[in-house]
Order: sequence, then C-alpha cells, then structure tokens
Amino acid sequence: MTGPDKMAGSALAADRPASKLTSPLVRWWVLYRKEMLESLRSFKLLWMPLVFILIGAMQPVMLHMLPDLLASAGSLPESVLHEIPRPQAFEVLAQTLGQYDTMGALITALAFMAVVSGERASGTAALMLTKPISAAAFITSKWAGLLTITMLSFSAGYAAAWYYTYVLFGAVGAGKFLGSLLLYGLWLVFIGTCTLLFGSLLKSGAAAAFAALGTAAVLSIVSSLYTEQLAWSPGRLPSYASALLTGGDPGSAAAGAAAFTVVCLIAACAGAVAALRTKPSVD
Amino acid sequence: MELMRVENVTKTFGTTQAVKDISFSIGEGRCVALLGPNGAGKTTTIRMLTGLLKPTSGQIRFAGANEADAFRASIGYLPQTPPLYGWMNGLEFLVHCGRASGMTAKAATTAAKELLVRVGLEQAGKRRVGGYSGGMKQRLGLAQALIHKPRLIVLDEPVSALDPVGRREVLELLRELKRETTVLFSTHVLPDAEELCDDVIIVAAGKVAVQGALPDIRREHQQPVLELQTDGSALAMSWVDRWLAAQAGKSYVVEGTRTADGFRLVVSDVPAAQRDLLQALAEADIAVRRMEFGHTSLEDLFMKAVASQ
Ligand SMILES: Nc1ncnc2c1ncn2[C@@H]1O[C@H](COP(=O)(O)OP(=O)(O)O)[C@@H](O)[C@H]1O
Ligand SMILES: [Mg+2]
Repeated sequence: MTGPDKMAGSALAADRPASKLTSPLVRWWVLYRKEMLESLRSFKLLWMPLVFILIGAMQPVMLHMLPDLLASAGSLPESVLHEIPRPQAFEVLAQTLGQYDTMGALITALAFMAVVSGERASGTAALMLTKPISAAAFITSKWAGLLTITMLSFSAGYAAAWYYTYVLFGAVGAGKFLGSLLLYGLWLVFIGTCTLLFGSLLKSGAAAAFAALGTAAVLSIVSSLYTEQLAWSPGRLPSYASALLTGGDPGSAAAGAAAFTVVCLIAACAGAVAALRTKPSVD
Repeated sequence: MELMRVENVTKTFGTTQAVKDISFSIGEGRCVALLGPNGAGKTTTIRMLTGLLKPTSGQIRFAGANEADAFRASIGYLPQTPPLYGWMNGLEFLVHCGRASGMTAKAATTAAKELLVRVGLEQAGKRRVGGYSGGMKQRLGLAQALIHKPRLIVLDEPVSALDPVGRREVLELLRELKRETTVLFSTHVLPDAEELCDDVIIVAAGKVAVQGALPDIRREHQQPVLELQTDGSALAMSWVDRWLAAQAGKSYVVEGTRTADGFRLVVSDVPAAQRDLLQALAEADIAVRRMEFGHTSLEDLFMKAVASQ
C-alpha cells in the first residue's frame, strides 16, 4: 500500500472540509466484529467448540469404561482385567491433551485456512486495503478473532475434560488445569497463526493449512529430539503442558518457551502484514 | 481544478512493462474514461491510483488529502469483479464498508439505506449477497464505492461483464453520479466512453495514445473522409483498383482503403479531392451510387491508436 505523494502547488482543488474519520481503533473493532459475525454465521463458533468438547469429554469417559469394554469383549482373562491399573486423575487429563495433539492441530488449521487466503482470492482483502484500513489492522483483527475462537473452543473442550475427569477419576488442581490450558492453548494459537501467515503467502487455503500443519509437525518432532537445545521451541509447549499436570515442574523452560512463542506470533503477524501489503490479491 | 495528477508512471512486472511512462490528470468534477483494449494496462493503472500497487517509477499526486488514511477515505473503488462478502446481506455489506471507510454506525446505516434504494436493491437489501445476480452484485459494488461520499470514484470496467439490461442500469447510475463527483472508469468499449465521459485517455500497450476532452479530441483528430460507392460492376471495380494503385501521385490522399463496392479515402484537401475525383469519374464513365464527404469518427481514431501499438 502506498499513500499519495503530497500534491505540490496551490492551483489544485480547493480543500473541501474532509469529514472526520472515526478513530483507527473503532475501524479495527469493526473488522474484529465482522470476523466474529462471520464465524457465527458459518457456524465455526458452534462446531469448533463442540468438536473440542467431544474430544475432551471422550477421553476420560473412554478410560473410565475401558475395563468394562474389555470385559464385555471377553478376549482377556478375568485375572488380567483386574490388573489393569486405574489411571490417576492427572494422567487422564494429560492423555486428553495427547488427543488434541493431532485432532486439535488439524481442526485449528482447517478452521482458519480460509481466513486470509479466502479474502485474498475473492478480492475483498484488496478492496478493504483501498479503504482507510491498514494491512496491520486487517491482519491483527483476524488474528484477534482467531485467538478468541481458538481459546474459547479449547477452553470449553479442556474444561469438559477436566469436569469428566473430576466426576470419574477425581480432582485435578485448578492451578495445574489453568497452567496447562494456557500452555497448550498457546500451542494451538501458534498453529492458527502459522495458518494465517501461510494464508497471506500462498495461493490456496488448503496449501496454507498443509504448510501450517507441516511446520507444527516438524517443530514437535525436532524439538522432542533436541529437548535441551530447543527448550524454548513452541514445539515443546504440549510437553510442558502435560509435564505440569503429571507433577514435573517445567518451570523456567516453559516460561521461556511461552515467551519465545509470543515472539514468534508477533513475527508471524508482521510477516503476514508484509506479505499482504506486497500482494493483497491472488493473480 | 486538478484532483489527481499522474506523472511519468511506469509499472514493471518482472520483465513485462504493463504501464509505460504515462501521465495524465483528472480534473475535479470531470468524468474520465480510461479507454483501451484488453491488456492495455487499465487495471494496472487503476490499482496504482488506488494505492494497491506501487509504481515502479513516477508519481501519483492527489489534491487535498496528503495523509494516507485521509486519501483512502477520499476515494471509492470498484474492482473489475465486485468483491463482496457473500455471507452478509446487502445492507450489512454496505454498512460494513461505510464503517471501514471511517463512518460512524449511524451515518453508515443511513447512507446504506439511501444507497440501496438508489441502486435499486431496496428489496434485496435483506437477502444474502451470495445469491445476487451479476447485475445486482455490480450495483452493490457501486454502492459500496459511494457510501462514504468520496471525492474520486474509480471504477474498473464497471459494465463490461454485464448483460445489456444490467449494462444499461449501471450506465444510467453513472450518468447521475458524474454530476455529483469526479469519476474515472475504464472500459474497452468506445460507445460507453463516448456516452458518459468528458475526457478520454486512450491507452494501448501500456502507453497513452491520445488524451483530452472529448470534443477537443474529436476536433483535433478528425480528418475529412471521402466515401465512394459504385454500382459494383467489374468495370467500376477495376477502375477503383487502378485509381487506388495510382494514388501515390495524388498528394491529397492520406489513406485509401478499398471497400466492397468502392473506396474510402482520408484526405487532406477536400476541394482538390473533389475536383480530381469527379473529373476522373466522368472520364471513365463510372456509375456512382453514392459519394459522401464526412469525417473520421472516434472509432477510427481508437482503432488506429490501438493498431499502431
Ligand atoms: N500481477 C501481474 N504480474 C504480471 N503481469 C501482469 C500483472 N498484472 C498485469 N500484468 C500484465 O500487464 C498487462 C496489462 O494488464 P492489465 O492492466 O490487467 O490490462 P487491462 O486491465 O487493460 O486489460 C498485461 O499484459 C498483463 O498480462
Ligand atoms: Mg482490466
């Protein structure tokens, strides 16, 4: 986006009193509200929390019913069935987080793959940028929508898991729950933000989702191989979240990873802004 | 009064020069047509005017608003295919565009309702934009460009993709609009430009071929034309061929083309042409159906400008 050059000379159009614009913050809020309204109309605000709740509630219920299921299948002798240890409450919750590793990432990437790339393809992004809307406002309003929806969905799902774990296995402390929620939620937001970035760089939404999931997978694998060297990698966040639950204290490493992830989010948004500014439409 | 001035603007994509050193200005209150065939560089030029593309070199100046936001609030833009949010209804879309352009919720809602009536979408305002027809989308796109009362409206081929009815509707809207504000629109159809605009900028292959006020262009570029229609007999036509072949000796002929039953001459000296030709026709005893002196049309100029690139 370029502004006009200052027009030289006074022989030009007399200044018509320009009607006052609303403040940039108000215009940003208009964009954010549009994002939320769109999520509501497309039922994203409904299905995404529902799927997260389903995944979250399923794991404790499944673990609770596992001995009964195995008994009714009749394939294991009675003596073995009695030896299956009943997991601790915090273990159940940690296993639930493990369920989100694949499904949660996939859902997040799919839910936000069209957010920027769709508007670049349809031309609405370019249209909005010809209005007094900066590329930064355009991207950050979408990012704020992503943050809201992801955290809302994940919190709902994880809270469901917490509740069923409490009912079926026993309580897990609120501190542990909240800490792991924030660490894991940050990881999902990171994946969503990658989708946003790739959506500003690549032509199709599917490619953006694929690239974001690939990045997340590579980051997880590489950082699980080099835990020492990559202690601050966003890919370590899920491990720190479950470590927090199972009693290990991830402490400063987790704080470092969280801080570094925030830096990554800012950099990804800045990258998306720059990409959108240079190529607001796909053609 | 000048509203916008484009100075020596060039745009290069990789190795292709889409726009080559163009300069023009847009006077306040004028309706300007950017006329040229497909691929002439109209869309590229318009994208630079709206700030979507940065010129490779050259300058674009806009009077009044210097600051980027104020500038963007002063222009209204309708791209070649109207980009709309299909999930909104017509009213919601207009209000959203108005608010994004810096209007308050109240002002945007009032203006949106007025505009829906004006572009004939009063009934459709409550329906999802995704279900609109092409003509309705174009009219909503136009309303979107107008809602914040911009000083300059830039429309990229506003009627090219429409059927005759939709085309007529949009042309009528533009006719009203140009009385209220400055309009620049691109087209590849000469009659659209002739019908509406005060000024034309004819572009071909990225360059400005001819520009100016329509009456001035007509006056400056029109040349006398002599059209001869014979009875089309073999005798007459062989005379026509011989006469055209010998035109080198006739200094008043600028350009001669054979038609089905005669010829068409662009001439520099009408009396000389008349004298010489009437004499030759009489000598050869050719049956003449029609002989007419007229002027080259804008169409001729357009075709010539396009062909010479
Ligand atoms: N983003 C782009 N990248 C490369 N070439 C482009 C791009 N945009 C336009 N062009 C080229 O520039 C020329 C002018 O295109 P355009 O401005 O769209 O013409 P018009 O709108 O008059 O039909 C064409 O040859 C086109 O292929
Ligand atoms: Mg075009």
